[in-house]
Amino acid sequence: MPIQYYIFLALALFCIGVAGVLARRNVIIIFMCIELMLNAANLLLVAFSKMHHAAWMAKPAGIASPGADGQLFVFFIMAVAAAEVSVGLAIIVMMYRNTHSVDVNFLNRLKN
Amino acid sequence: MGNIIQLAWLVPLFPLIGFLINGLGRRSLSKGAISFIGSGAILASFIVSIMIVLQVKSPGFTASQGVLKMFDFISVDKLIIPFAFQIDQLSSLFLLIITGVGFLIHVYSTSYMHDEESEHFGRYFAYLNLFVFSMLLLVMGGNFVIMFIGWEGVGLCSYLLIGFWFKNSDYNDAAKKAFVMNRIGDFGFLLAVFWIIAKVGSVDFSTVFAAAQSLSKTDITIITLLLFVGAAGKSAQIPLYTWLPDAMAGPTPVSALIHAATMVTAGIYMIARSNILYSLAPITQTVVAVTGLVTAVFAATIALQQNDIKKVLAYSTVSQLGYMFLGLGVGAYTGAVFHVMTHAFFKALLFLGAGSVIHAMHSEQDIRNMGGLKKQMPVTHITFLLGCLAIAGVPPFSGFFSKDEILAGAFSVNPVYYYIGVAGALMTAFYMFRLYAMTFTGTFRGTHEQEHHLHESPVAITFPLIVLAVLAAIAGFAGLPEVFVENGHALEHFLAPIFAESAKLKHANHLDHTTEITLMVSVTVLILITIIYAWIRFSRYRKTEADTKGLARVLENKWYVDEIYNAAIVRPLNAFSGLLNRVVEKVLIDGLVNGVGKSIQYGSRQLRLLQSGQVGSYILLMVLSILAFFALVFFTKK
Amino acid sequence: MNAIILSAIWGVAMMFSGIFLTKGEAIRAAAILGLVVLLGVNIAELYGYRLFNIDTRGMLSFNSFSLVFNAVLFGCTLIYFLLSSKDILKVGTNKAEYFSLIFFVLSGVSIASSFNTLLMLFLGIEIISIPLYILTGSDRKNLKSNEAALKYFLMGSFSTGIMVMGIALIYGARGSFDIAGMNTAMQQGLNPLLLSGLLLLLISMAFKVSAAPFHFWTPDVYDGAPTVFTSFMATIVKAGVFVAFLRLFDGAYGSMSDKWKLVVVIIIAATLLIGNITAVFQQSVKRMLAYSSIAQAGFMFFALFSYNDLSKEGLLLYSAAYCLATTGIFAILIKMKDYTFDGFNGMGKSNPLLAATNTIFLLSLAGIPLTAGFTAKFYMLSSAIKTGTYGWLVILAVLCAAVSVYYYFRVIQSMYFKEGDSQRIEVSSSFRLGLVVISAIIILLGIFPQILFYKLYF
Repeated sequence: MPIQYYIFLALALFCIGVAGVLARRNVIIIFMCIELMLNAANLLLVAFSKMHHAAWMAKPAGIASPGADGQLFVFFIMAVAAAEVSVGLAIIVMMYRNTHSVDVNFLNRLKN
Repeated sequence: MGNIIQLAWLVPLFPLIGFLINGLGRRSLSKGAISFIGSGAILASFIVSIMIVLQVKSPGFTASQGVLKMFDFISVDKLIIPFAFQIDQLSSLFLLIITGVGFLIHVYSTSYMHDEESEHFGRYFAYLNLFVFSMLLLVMGGNFVIMFIGWEGVGLCSYLLIGFWFKNSDYNDAAKKAFVMNRIGDFGFLLAVFWIIAKVGSVDFSTVFAAAQSLSKTDITIITLLLFVGAAGKSAQIPLYTWLPDAMAGPTPVSALIHAATMVTAGIYMIARSNILYSLAPITQTVVAVTGLVTAVFAATIALQQNDIKKVLAYSTVSQLGYMFLGLGVGAYTGAVFHVMTHAFFKALLFLGAGSVIHAMHSEQDIRNMGGLKKQMPVTHITFLLGCLAIAGVPPFSGFFSKDEILAGAFSVNPVYYYIGVAGALMTAFYMFRLYAMTFTGTFRGTHEQEHHLHESPVAITFPLIVLAVLAAIAGFAGLPEVFVENGHALEHFLAPIFAESAKLKHANHLDHTTEITLMVSVTVLILITIIYAWIRFSRYRKTEADTKGLARVLENKWYVDEIYNAAIVRPLNAFSGLLNRVVEKVLIDGLVNGVGKSIQYGSRQLRLLQSGQVGSYILLMVLSILAFFALVFFTKK
Repeated sequence: MNAIILSAIWGVAMMFSGIFLTKGEAIRAAAILGLVVLLGVNIAELYGYRLFNIDTRGMLSFNSFSLVFNAVLFGCTLIYFLLSSKDILKVGTNKAEYFSLIFFVLSGVSIASSFNTLLMLFLGIEIISIPLYILTGSDRKNLKSNEAALKYFLMGSFSTGIMVMGIALIYGARGSFDIAGMNTAMQQGLNPLLLSGLLLLLISMAFKVSAAPFHFWTPDVYDGAPTVFTSFMATIVKAGVFVAFLRLFDGAYGSMSDKWKLVVVIIIAATLLIGNITAVFQQSVKRMLAYSSIAQAGFMFFALFSYNDLSKEGLLLYSAAYCLATTGIFAILIKMKDYTFDGFNGMGKSNPLLAATNTIFLLSLAGIPLTAGFTAKFYMLSSAIKTGTYGWLVILAVLCAAVSVYYYFRVIQSMYFKEGDSQRIEVSSSFRLGLVVISAIIILLGIFPQILFYKLYF
């Protein structure tokens, strides 16, 4: 399949994520949308990794097996995302304990 | 005695210390201590100055020895302005005059100001010492900037001392007038300094004068004209002279020191110092000569009809300064400096004598109310007479020689200068002897109260008078004309290195001896006739109530110059600034400043609303900004 | 390298030290000791002593600039610890963890200052950010702290998403994460993938340094977070991210086409205007400082705009000046009960030393001559003038600096010219000493800024 399909798919997922962040008020769903954005990037990275590798296979030159670092990056993103999830969920739980709400607009004492 | 020039910084240091002690301790020190410190500081400077002059006079002295660099005062990029002193023949001569006459006047002041309260007494001496310090700085400065510092310093002291009796608002007005007029001149000086920096890149006298030959005609003319504006302000020349007569509001010794002997000659010193620049700028020379001549005659006419003893002397000072400028303008630099010296002696003497009279008359200054004082005040009378003879130019008193040298110089350039100058000299003789006769001869016209208290002044007052009288009588022998004695002009030889460069440029246009002697004799005869006429006429003076008429009235009102300035400059300026205040300041500037402030406050209040506290709106704004940036990057060309 | 590994190790050690060390004083001592060691090894590396010899395969590289920068930031953190570590202990019960998180942030800062590939940049930024989310929310019972943590977290991870997307697009266009040679790729033509990738990366970095129009999180988060941590976030973290940004420009945007320049100019202008103007109307000094930190970021952004030697020196000096002054002000602010301007009323009488040093800090932030703030602003603006383009931006910056004088001087005015009933604040003598030392450094740097650059070239 041409690379454009993957790009469009990933960008579509990314935009869905952004739209979700903008549209929803539930903190957990917003958080999921952000994960969607990250995963869109992951998908894109893997696709590009494959593409660069294929290009290298057709005409080997320079460093050995380009494209491997793209997939490597994906793992780092997943690890970082996991860390963010743990911190984020902890924050959401803390908020729920204090306010009994997960509405993102519930807390707006800080303004102006 | 070692190289005393290296210690030249002591000369201004003593008055500075005196100023600090007297200024800070004016509440706690006794009058005796204040007098001692004030006068002692100047005496110490005077002694060092004498030693310096002896050193300068010694054959081994060269100009390069005299430059004394203390430290770098301003250092910006390539422009380095050192705090440097320059000791040479010219400055050492001025040192002698300033500290010498200054010392005598300090001694005089200890008695004259004795009725002041102790605190004001201290303040007076502090100011006076500060003045001497500034004046020394002006004279000793090794570049235009240091000179300018002194220049401003003396202006400040003059302001402070004119307004010394600050409770009288007229005196304060006089002080302000002096300050403003001086500032106009200073502005010219400052512009000249900037011009010099721009063209030469240095303000050191030696560098600037060495580069003078390479400057363009226009530059040199502009620089010299601007410097002359400064000199005209400080030395009270037309059109900036009106402050000097008003400056008589200050204590009389101040008038003697600042407004007769020293400060007002700063302009002459500056031009004599920059003589090479002026010799290269003939246009400016003409301007200087004409201004000086016109001032000399103009002020003399006013002096004819003044009745205030100090005002007569003030206008006479303006007039004599005019002669000095005439000398500078015609290239007779030595003559001008010579006249500065003799004038310092006799005019200080006359002022101090006038002070002595005023003291005896209990602050009466109107000569119409005096008369016949010679019986009660013999010392003052004799010394004053000597001063009058000197200023009138009667041989062999000092004024004769110096004035004659200037007039001879004028004759060699343009005889018209000479004839007008002689007319002025005759007027000088007339008004001086009018003053003398009305004060000392005839019968007393004051109140009985005053007559009862008439007395000769104490020794602290008469001592300076006697010393100055001797000097006024004999100082002329420092510069005997060539006609009388071969190589008799000691001063010319002494000052020769300073004016050497200019002398080369000057056309050798010496008068032949017959002409010179003819002129001299005829002028002397005329002056003597004038003196006798004035003496006879005014010793029979009777007080009349009748108003003066015609020209005399115009003269009595000083040609209405103050009124003209008031109508032509001051009032329109006031009206204009009132307009500026109402329209520009209140409406435009205030409106603008407050408007900016208000609009920022308003913007702040509105921008705060963007910070709504909702995460959703923040992210929405961010996404919109991202889209805007994408549009910017992708849909703009390049 | 020394600093990255040691700070990570020290962070882990501090985390577990909670088991053994129960007394606050001991924890504090351990943290300060750790930081001294960290500063020491970092300076040692500057002189060529490397404790670890790890082949990073070119992913990290340490040059004198990054090391000097780290040294400055560690030094500021040390001063921050000395002044405010007692207040860190007061925030909550998990005392050792706060210090441990700060060490992790420092580790992230050292990575961010020496990365060579986008992977390391990403990791560095994330290692900086995630501990900060926790620190922001560390006052668990306080709703403001909760709210700030939530906002910071949501927007921070949103910007992480943008950054990752940007990196993915750049990777697609180039097939490599190396930042070296990225600018040559730029010149070869306008690949839309690369262009959008670079733009997204730029935007996410602008978010992290709180540049307008991506600054919205800053006031709320700085205001809501416990004041001790606001101080840390506003100073050391911001400067650390800036150095990463500068390094990114080294490779990626270095030979900026006019396009990038325009984007940066818009960001600078918006940041200066919004930061300064909004700060004018604030009532709380803490929130005013949050806006002022946005405004100061606008000035730091000039380093990216002009991108020459002068701007590197300028950023170094600016970071030092800004961090020191802001740390000092926050250290005083923490001790106060009332954060409004009125809280400072009469401080000149009740606490003359605090008021005097605070005045110096504020003058430095406002950029008054003889303080480091002035020299730093001077370096920044002269580097911008050196580029010879966008002269109006420099004028705008000067005008904004004039506006900033208004709100900084409001504090000085409160301290000295308003009568107040502010009680005397009891502070230890070491705290006073610390303030005096900071003031001295600020003035010293204001007069001899060169001492900072000495190790940069030799």
